[in-house]
Amino acid sequence: MNPRRIAAVARKEWKETVRDRLFLHMAFLLPALWMVVFGYGLVLDVEHVPFVVLDRDRSSLSRDYVYRFIESRYFDYRGIVDDERAIDRMLGDTAIRMAVVIPERFEERLLAGRTVTVQTLLDGTFPLHADTTKGYVIAVNRSFTQELLADFLARTRGLAPAEARRLAEPVSLETRYLYNEEVRSTWSMVPALIMFSLMVASPLLTALGVVREKESGSIYNIYSSTASKAEFLVGKLAPYFAISAINVVVLWAIAVWLFRVPFKGSITVFYAASLLFVLCSTGIGLVISLLVRTQMAALIITIIIAMVPTLLFSGFLVPVSSLSPDAQVQAHLFPAMYYTDVVRGSFLKGLGLESMWRDLLALAGFAVALRLVAYGLFTKRPKA
Amino acid sequence: MNEKDDIEAGTLRVWALRLFVMTRKELLQLRRDIPLLLFLIYSFSLSVYISGAGISMQLSNASLLVHDGDHSASSRELIHRFREPYFRIDGEVQDPKVGVERLDQGTAMLLLDIPPRFQESIGGREPVSVQLQVDTTNAPQGLSAASYAARIVGGFSFDLASVRLGGASGDRMELPNIESAHRVWYNQNQDETWFQSISHILRMITLFAFLLPAAALVREKEHGTVEQLLVSPVTPLQIMLSKVLAMTLVILAATALAMVTVLKPVFGVPVKGSVALFFILTALYSFTIAGLGLFAATVTRNQAQVGMIALLVISPMLLLSGIATPFEAMPSWVQSIMALSPLRYYVDVTYGVLLKGVGLELLWDSVLAMALLGGVLFGLGMWRFRKHFE
Repeated sequence: MNPRRIAAVARKEWKETVRDRLFLHMAFLLPALWMVVFGYGLVLDVEHVPFVVLDRDRSSLSRDYVYRFIESRYFDYRGIVDDERAIDRMLGDTAIRMAVVIPERFEERLLAGRTVTVQTLLDGTFPLHADTTKGYVIAVNRSFTQELLADFLARTRGLAPAEARRLAEPVSLETRYLYNEEVRSTWSMVPALIMFSLMVASPLLTALGVVREKESGSIYNIYSSTASKAEFLVGKLAPYFAISAINVVVLWAIAVWLFRVPFKGSITVFYAASLLFVLCSTGIGLVISLLVRTQMAALIITIIIAMVPTLLFSGFLVPVSSLSPDAQVQAHLFPAMYYTDVVRGSFLKGLGLESMWRDLLALAGFAVALRLVAYGLFTKRPKA
Repeated sequence: MNEKDDIEAGTLRVWALRLFVMTRKELLQLRRDIPLLLFLIYSFSLSVYISGAGISMQLSNASLLVHDGDHSASSRELIHRFREPYFRIDGEVQDPKVGVERLDQGTAMLLLDIPPRFQESIGGREPVSVQLQVDTTNAPQGLSAASYAARIVGGFSFDLASVRLGGASGDRMELPNIESAHRVWYNQNQDETWFQSISHILRMITLFAFLLPAAALVREKEHGTVEQLLVSPVTPLQIMLSKVLAMTLVILAATALAMVTVLKPVFGVPVKGSVALFFILTALYSFTIAGLGLFAATVTRNQAQVGMIALLVISPMLLLSGIATPFEAMPSWVQSIMALSPLRYYVDVTYGVLLKGVGLELLWDSVLAMALLGGVLFGLGMWRFRKHFE
């Protein structure tokens, strides 16, 4: 490998990139823009569930009960309806996601110390929402029941209110949230967004850089030049690697200064992992570029490969531990998962090399393997 | 009169024939790109299966560690209530510190800590609390786990209270209690494969409907073949329309492939509404997104630029239109911007027709919005494209 020839290839590639103004601006702007837009805009919590109430009791207790839903930030009150047919229509039209049906004699039975059943109708098209909403409803019912029970005991057994409350709830749960004490979804989202931003833009830059030459035929200049395979591949990637290496710093700064996500770990480990990850993501672009002939194919395949597994199988939206075994295999075959571990570990948990060396090793392994594959696929003497 | 009609019919036939020839050319070009074609088939078959079968966003098997400081019948009874499918007990630790270390390493998600003299204290007058530590590096999952845990402990506590207050005979009906009965519509068993596989198809349709026509148009610009088309008798409208038609056909075929090979036989997704309506609206959606893609192609000079524009436009659409996260929970500024995203309407249309079985009488507003966006985008693209040649 001759450093001068590598530098020459890199310089040529850099000039081509810089000349394309739109492309260059996007290469730097896009990751930063994503961080800001998704960091503020992407909310994973299930909140503001729109609902209506069918109140068959219309008593003061039932109004009290409905009020519990209205004042909760998890629900968004859309009024009272008169019959189930209205509920049918509104659920079908996605105007609401939930309806609460309060039975007749709600107040009478509860004050007499009996059980009533409140029915909730849920839109099940998005099972996660339905399930989370169910949990909210159960929590509302539980706390309302506890208060009723305490009142009931105070009334019927002549107990002091405090004692009645203790009797009504003998065991309670104290929850401590670790690493993200206020359970802000921005804190778990923003570090993972660094991964997403790096993963999506840099393979595309690389893949198109190579296929463009194949399509326009300028790659024959390389075939006939003295630059060796390895020199070409290294030089070709250098500018894109540099762009991403700068982007890592920018993204880190946005996370720490704009979103105020605490960075508790080691900068060195984080940056080393980020560079390894950039080597992986450019490597993916390189391998794709050697498998296809047209830019159109390179464009579509790279965008989809970079976007879909990165969203679904990296731990970004769905934790890897709750994937099915097959999908877990796919997650492990893709470098994004290891890097997500490192980013979240460095930001929120303050872990160091001693607990994350396996992830770094995996990233290094991917970086090397992808380059070996690319070296094997690239030939200076194409058949056709 | 008749002669004039004949001439008009004749020109119309020629116009249609030219459009047909151009559309055929696009399809032929696509057919020759074998890697791309294989990838298209993969994206609408195997890839749909992997996403549908593999992804579960609901809490499942959250790894729970237990520190039981009491080892009594009551503590065992409480621990026993934490069970699958939500929790998986991953063993007992002797020291809570060891448990926290496991949370640090990420090998466990929750640590339940039952204090010593638990059984003794719940018989007494003082309230007792058990502690739960949750890893919230993934905030929604952490919250969800905490909410299930609260449900379990709450149930344990209520049972305890009612047994104690009702006496040994267990007169539990004598206490006020609100029971929750849930009816989940459209997907009674909350089968997540339905949701995940359908939303994967939505993602794929969006990506392909944007990228295929956009890349096809900008390729002609890049290679200079668009000048050749210009001197031929085809009009700019025919050039653009043929690309949209060809790619819409491809996408409809791919969607049909996904439905026939994966959705129905493997996941048993019930198609409650009209299949024809679904395909017509999918064609409308492809047209709308293709309009967006063609517009992007007219403002860029090469395929690398189109790729960057695609990332700029498509990723917010995919993440913020309500297929990844609930739309209602988004901040209001996101909701207003996403009113411009055709996907936001197509999501309601797809779930509406496929799972809810509703028709145009409820979906007309979404359909109208899609058609309007599509018309405007296509018109804008047309205008930009014509300007190149004037």
